[in-house]
Amino acid sequence: MITIQNICKSFDDNLVLNDISTVFEPGKTNLIIGRSGSGKTVLLKSIVGLHEVDQGDIFYDDRNFTQMNHKLRKKLRQEMGMVFQGGALFDSFSVEENVRFPLDMFTNKSQKEKQERVDFCLDRVNIAKAHKLYPAEISGGMQKRVAIARAIVMNPKYLFCDEPNSGLDPETSLVIDELVHELTVDFNMTTVINTHDMNSVMEIGDRILFISEGVKTWEGTKQEILHAQNKKLQEFVFANKTYREIRDVKIEKES
Amino acid sequence: MNLFFHVGRYFTLLSRAFSRPEKHRIYFRKLFVEIEQLGLDSVGIVAIISIFMGGIITLQVAYNMSNPLFPSYLIGLGNRDTLILEFSSTIMALIMAGKIGSNITSEIGSMRVTEQIDSLEIMGINSASYLILPKTLAVVFIFPFLFVLSVFFGLIGGLIVGPAVGAVTAPDYINGIQYLFTPYYVTFSMIKTLFFGFLVASVPAYFGYFVDGGAFEVGAASTRAVVNTNILILVFDLILTQLLF
Repeated sequence: MITIQNICKSFDDNLVLNDISTVFEPGKTNLIIGRSGSGKTVLLKSIVGLHEVDQGDIFYDDRNFTQMNHKLRKKLRQEMGMVFQGGALFDSFSVEENVRFPLDMFTNKSQKEKQERVDFCLDRVNIAKAHKLYPAEISGGMQKRVAIARAIVMNPKYLFCDEPNSGLDPETSLVIDELVHELTVDFNMTTVINTHDMNSVMEIGDRILFISEGVKTWEGTKQEILHAQNKKLQEFVFANKTYREIRDVKIEKES
Repeated sequence: MNLFFHVGRYFTLLSRAFSRPEKHRIYFRKLFVEIEQLGLDSVGIVAIISIFMGGIITLQVAYNMSNPLFPSYLIGLGNRDTLILEFSSTIMALIMAGKIGSNITSEIGSMRVTEQIDSLEIMGINSASYLILPKTLAVVFIFPFLFVLSVFFGLIGGLIVGPAVGAVTAPDYINGIQYLFTPYYVTFSMIKTLFFGFLVASVPAYFGYFVDGGAFEVGAASTRAVVNTNILILVFDLILTQLLF
């Protein structure tokens, strides 16, 4: 479980996050949604410590991350996995080497054990015949899946995904969403996904946090989002006419 | 104030880069990869430039010593001392700052803008140490060898060009490059190459590590890295020459 309490973050005089508090529960896919520039990525990067917060606390279970020194943070980070927007695979490593890298750095497993783990993770994300290929030789969707395999190779307790569907076609996006959701449930991870893809919201949003201009504006589940009265949320989620029609049909059916 | 900010941040980065590696075996393996990529791949350009510069210095010395009172073996001596004292250490470092330095800045800078450095940090890896330490050690290690190679090829260049254009005979040239040899000159230049090697790796690494933006900023950072490294090489050349002589 990740608990964030009253965090604020500003760059120079620009306040990007303003007093945000929430709880991300384990075994659930927690989504952070909001317009471009609303502070989603800054929030996610603040949670993992890539940005230092100006104020507030972040707890990983009962461990206060903001109070930790560099050494303790490094140790805690070995329990984290993160999928970056562009995949962030190492260009000079093959797919297999990318996934094996954390194992090489932090475990004393034998080559055979490492290979088994790499094969398992790549198999789990449906990458079968690309072990020896380099990131530049595979598609965007495959890069994202390899990034997920690398993120889960150390059995993380916490998984973070920064816009995992950006630049992907709807079908591949769905595959990625389902994969992340399955992994979250199977490994009981606390997963936090930063997205503005409404398909993801409707498919896998166990818990949704809506941010607008750096402020937490709404929080709830994908079922609750249909009935949410918040104007900004309505404008954002149901900006698309098709979504508005689906919402109206669903509400009509429910009533 | 800007200068103090950069100096402070540079030394903070170095302190992180020279902290204890997570896994020595992986860093050691990476060191050899960097020695090959940054060092061995530079042998060709060092050889070519040194041969031409050795030939040019020989011609310049010969044409400026037309007085018959000067013995012609001084042409070889002039070429040798110029190569050892300045060319093969300082000028080669300036050239290497362009080749190796821009390579380091663009590699680390690209990793920064594609979030690969963030990815290392999230894994719990000291990205500064993982990326900068092996490169710096590799360049510091390889620079003295490049210096020796440069002197060797520079002398060969003089031996080819001098007799070929009739500026000096081969026996006189060979006599000159052995005449009044001062071993301390080599020690002095070796010390300089170690300093320059450190600058050529660490300064561009600093500029690459703190790139903010995209491809355009990576290119701009490469340019800034090469310019600043060159200035620092010349400043340190001045300081070391004053201190060591």
